Amino acid sequence: MLDTIVNILKASGVYGWEVSDVKKQGWEFYFIRHALDQHRAKNVEHITVKVYQLVGDGLGFASAEIAPTATASEAEALVRDLAYRASLVKNKPYTLVPPAGEAADAGEASDLAAISGDFLRAMAELPETPTEDVNSYEIFVTDVTRRLITSTGIDETERYPSSMIEVVINARRDGHEIELYRNYKSGSCDAEALRRDLEKTMQYGRDRLNTVPTPITGKYNVLFSGADACAIYRYFVSRMDAQMVYRKISPWELGKPVCEDVHGDKVTVTALRELKNSSANHRFDAEGAQIRDTVMIEDGVAKHYLGARMFASYLGLEDSFLPTNIAVSGGTHSEAALRAGQYLEVVEFSDFQVDAMTGDIFGEIRLAYWHDGEKVTPVSGGSLSGSMDDFVGELYMSRESVQHDNMRIPALTLLKGVTVTGA
Amino acid sequence: MKAAFSPYLLQIKPALKELIGLLRQEYDYVSALATDSKGLALRISQRAKSVSSQTMTTERGVVVRVYKNGQYAEYAFNDFDPTNPAAKAEELCAALNAQLAVLAAAGVKSYDTPIRPDEEQTLFVEKETGELPEQTDVKALVEKLSAVSDKGMRLHENALDCMVSAQSTHICKMFLTEKRDLCQSYVYSEGSLALVLSREGNTQVAYDSVSGLCGPELFDRIEKKLEKVVKAGEELLNAGRIEPGEYEIITSPEVTGLIAHEAFGHGVEMDMFVKNRALGAEYIGKRVGSDLCSMHEGALCAEDVTSYAFDDEGTLAGDVTEIDHGILKTGICDALSALRLGVQPTGNGKRENFEHKVYTRMTNTMIDSGTDSLEDMIASIENGYLLEGMESGMEDPKHWGIQCIIKMGREIKNGRLTGKVVAPIIMTGYVPELLGNISMLSPDREVFGSGGCGKGYKEWVKVADGGPYMKTKARLG
Repeated sequence: MLDTIVNILKASGVYGWEVSDVKKQGWEFYFIRHALDQHRAKNVEHITVKVYQLVGDGLGFASAEIAPTATASEAEALVRDLAYRASLVKNKPYTLVPPAGEAADAGEASDLAAISGDFLRAMAELPETPTEDVNSYEIFVTDVTRRLITSTGIDETERYPSSMIEVVINARRDGHEIELYRNYKSGSCDAEALRRDLEKTMQYGRDRLNTVPTPITGKYNVLFSGADACAIYRYFVSRMDAQMVYRKISPWELGKPVCEDVHGDKVTVTALRELKNSSANHRFDAEGAQIRDTVMIEDGVAKHYLGARMFASYLGLEDSFLPTNIAVSGGTHSEAALRAGQYLEVVEFSDFQVDAMTGDIFGEIRLAYWHDGEKVTPVSGGSLSGSMDDFVGELYMSRESVQHDNMRIPALTLLKGVTVTGA
Repeated sequence: MKAAFSPYLLQIKPALKELIGLLRQEYDYVSALATDSKGLALRISQRAKSVSSQTMTTERGVVVRVYKNGQYAEYAFNDFDPTNPAAKAEELCAALNAQLAVLAAAGVKSYDTPIRPDEEQTLFVEKETGELPEQTDVKALVEKLSAVSDKGMRLHENALDCMVSAQSTHICKMFLTEKRDLCQSYVYSEGSLALVLSREGNTQVAYDSVSGLCGPELFDRIEKKLEKVVKAGEELLNAGRIEPGEYEIITSPEVTGLIAHEAFGHGVEMDMFVKNRALGAEYIGKRVGSDLCSMHEGALCAEDVTSYAFDDEGTLAGDVTEIDHGILKTGICDALSALRLGVQPTGNGKRENFEHKVYTRMTNTMIDSGTDSLEDMIASIENGYLLEGMESGMEDPKHWGIQCIIKMGREIKNGRLTGKVVAPIIMTGYVPELLGNISMLSPDREVFGSGGCGKGYKEWVKVADGGPYMKTKARLG
């Protein structure tokens, strides 16, 4: 079907086009405790076509998925329809991504059975106890083949494994039971990292059963030591997104500090082509642009916007791409320094969020440790709130880093002056 | 007009029935869900315009469920060749058997589940719609939405952009077993308006939406939201921060719906009962809210984005009374969880799309109306807030914690709205306390279907929720 679609597009007379062909062979295993609830397999192909048309002095585009079961005449009609629809939506003109030389090798097929076996063994070997154990888990292992063909001459293919495991941990005491939720994405199975994090999760489960209601209300220093800190750093990435800049939602200007009054650490944010076992190691982005290591923010100074071709082009950037892996550095503090004095260390939220548009942060506290300067008390309930506008200058990071799937971030992040609402 | 059922699905139906017959030689139960849903999505703003045929629920594919030796398994594909069902049967058996070999090598035990009864049933439903997304006049729609965006920009001097989105999906699904033959076709649509404003470095987004069990004719209603959105935008720019604490609150119908969804929507999804992940299982027949609190859930409860005739397992749609005057009556249940719990399924087995597993999921989740006027509710509050606009929510069915992110609060002092607005707000609390403190409910009730719902952090499906204005107490920060 793919060849048919490409031939139809070549003969269509449209200004430009892109075809994305993603094939997925997936294996899935669902468990209740350690008993198999259900197993699933899939073999699917998704062909998405985007057509560009000149509209006066502008450019329009329209997209659709064409089913692999579509007939040639159905595909032809769809392309005709896309050409018409693209002519209805006039945008400022921009050039499509050109090819970047010779296409590289696609890569090897992933061994679904081997990766699945690794996950199954890792979960079977977890050190559960009578009071902390696994409630349920779901394993997803996929062999992805992704090909992109464009009217500008790009024809790139990459093949890679993509995995995800969702785990629910229970902890109980005196008839009371709670749960902790984890969702890990990766390339293949990193059994050691999985075990390490789930052991820590079980410890959190024990502590959550010993909490008191969060006893403080007001502005406090808050320490993030888990994956929730990724949301803080995604805010920096979104502020450097070409679309956010072009839409004037992000005021950050190249060559200028992202914050004039910095009391804490100055952040360095880098887009990376490769991060070990990340689920987002791609050679090219959705439009065919080559992904490469690029410093976006250096020592707190905006260096390089990145983003979709359309908005990058409007900003005059010809070498942009959609970043996939992110590394954050710039921390100057030891763990001991960050853990000095009074602070609230939140390790479990209901759902920690940072609003990319407004900068507002929110999160209900499910488990935190209140360090009052003398003793440490596990607490739960209440919430955090505040604005990243205030925290960019009051951000303190550890020198050590930790990886959460496609982000390598400081192991500890401290925000000063966060509003805490007690329970 | 009727939303015509997919000719493609009718074309492959005989071959799918042949596939089911072939697989029945190997398995004790076989069902197939085939989908062919088309859509239209427009995004119009001052900075970018686009048109697509893809929405959250467009798809074409098949998922086959099989059962043998107490074990269910599924195989999803979208390359079905109706001239050769035997090849697909062979491919399916090979894939599932390869998985069984890996499971056996790992020493995995099965969670034994009874076989699903297969009873004779036929259904062919084509619901009414004004227009079909695949046939609508896209040119006229682009012009209409562009005019709304332009008008939004003119109405506020600090507007950075006015983003209008419109999506319409024509759902066609067919569920087949040896004895069941169910077909449904319906159209739902949703639209939204987001005004982005910035003043002296303060960026805010005012938002409103429309949704319904209808075609693109729904989008005529977007412009009517404009003045309200512009007014809310100005209020957000001038809003202060709330003093954290516990307050008497009145929730707008949208926020009431969010509470319904998070509190006893997820909390009574009975696949969570099977896993012992929901405290609700221990509270059936017990009080979980005030006497004023009643709650319904089901595809038949309201006509909105998820009001189907049957779910993704071929169970007919229902209307379940979850809470009756404060007493938790029952939950909602997919077919396999019902078999495991020994109860009847409620028509709530839903998939993100044909590639995904079925879970127990919500459809329309509604808190019932009362008899109190909004004016009386405001007059009854000494120090509190009227909460408007939902952003997001998160539940904890095991511990009954709740988190709701709310767009803004209007201060109420001594029985009057003071005109002061605070934003944004995070509302937290303990579900039985939140529902137990319900003391007033208004007679009107609205449904909102523009959002999506995940299970954990994945498996996104369309849901709708709503209710009346509701007075209770909560912690705000």
